[in-house]
Amino acid sequence: MWHIIITSLPEMLTAMLQYTIPLALVSFFFGLILAVLTALIKFIQPSENKLIKYPWLVLRAIANFYVWVFRSTPLLVQLFIIFFGLPSAGIQLSPFIAAVIGFSMNTGAYASETIRSALLSVPQDQWDAAFTLNFTTKQTLMKIVLPQAVRIALPPLSNSFISLVKDTSLASSITILEMFQVSQQITAKNYQPLLMYTLAAALYAVICTLLTFLQHYLERRTSKYVKGSEA
Amino acid sequence: MISVKNIVKKYDGKEVLKDLSVDFPSGKTTVILGPSGSGKSTLLRSLDLLVRPESGILDFGDIKLDYSQPVSKKLSFDIRKKTSMVFQNWNLFPNLTVLQNITTAPITVLKQPKQETEEKARKLLEQVGLGEYADRFPSQLSGGQQQRISICRALAMNPEYVLLDEPTSALDPELETQVLLILEELSKMGQSMIIVTHNMEFARSVADKIVFVEDGDILFDDTPDKFFNHPTTRIKDFLSGITFNDEKTTK
Repeated sequence: MWHIIITSLPEMLTAMLQYTIPLALVSFFFGLILAVLTALIKFIQPSENKLIKYPWLVLRAIANFYVWVFRSTPLLVQLFIIFFGLPSAGIQLSPFIAAVIGFSMNTGAYASETIRSALLSVPQDQWDAAFTLNFTTKQTLMKIVLPQAVRIALPPLSNSFISLVKDTSLASSITILEMFQVSQQITAKNYQPLLMYTLAAALYAVICTLLTFLQHYLERRTSKYVKGSEA
Repeated sequence: MISVKNIVKKYDGKEVLKDLSVDFPSGKTTVILGPSGSGKSTLLRSLDLLVRPESGILDFGDIKLDYSQPVSKKLSFDIRKKTSMVFQNWNLFPNLTVLQNITTAPITVLKQPKQETEEKARKLLEQVGLGEYADRFPSQLSGGQQQRISICRALAMNPEYVLLDEPTSALDPELETQVLLILEELSKMGQSMIIVTHNMEFARSVADKIVFVEDGDILFDDTPDKFFNHPTTRIKDFLSGITFNDEKTTK
């Protein structure tokens, strides 16, 4: 058994470093940007100025539509549409780019609601206090509200990230040689499905465990000001 | 002086401020009294534009605002620059240290130099007896200490008027006294203040002027001497209604 593990491990680890981890990191990065933008578009009330208000309402409609689409359809189907479907519409994407787009937009849709709820959890009192001190909306967001919201959003955002790491296994279905795909290929040669798939599962668990440690570290860092946290 | 003229505020069609006019003289302490839900806080928050009345005029002498018209960012900035608010639950920013709570607004909003602002903030903290707490977070302090810090935060903006919305209602009597002593001192120094409070002893000792609000109307607008020593029937009822002993003897 150990022999099989040791001989297949290099291939698995290569796939992990080459595809699984980069896919997860890059997709989460773009997903997070999308999520913050979407959450802010939905959260901020536009001023009464018509030049700002109407474009803003259009943006908000787009944001709502985006979140609705990506939360209402399966991730696997989204990947198929982007990679196998779009070429019919004249848009040809490499498997990696197609996967990044699919994962980013899917994670972004879910994470945007996480961030919006974190923004909503900061009491109106904080905004009142900031406004009486003449902070602008942007200054209030940057200095007061976002730092408090980040702390609230961290645990559910970590959920999203950990889910994303495991969901990258779906990229195998759009021809990417990520870790799970490689384990399937090795299995086809050595006929050891139990061992190989368990090994793949264990490797996913290792990444996710490291991420859990990172989550705890970030939680401690952002909770310095909360009563009872040791800092 | 701040003058409010013919101010009307409705919530869901119900008038909470009914065509009300009142002056708040500068260099003096005006205390607003009245039962809960009378419109006291709404009136106070209108002065800082946290509440937008439907109509009325807010007049600071050099700046005027018509509540029925759209308010430009510049006008709202200028008005808020003249006032600072102290809240019932102090509303300190939990993610900032005590010092940052006081200095962030002067540095970002008024573009004051950092070092000078921090020195000034430390002096303010010394004055309220909290000099050694500058680098703590608000959650590590008691309510009374937090309220004293929020007073420093308001003063650091150099406002003409400090507006206080029931500043001691959320504090137990011992902590309340710490805060009241500071406010009394500010009042003596001639800081213009408008205070909404339920503490009659405090009102009697600091007020230069008393405004009694009920059902969105002003029922009394005169000196504390008249209010406490020559009250009208309604005010007599109000004053006796909130005294525990009198309440018992009348029943």
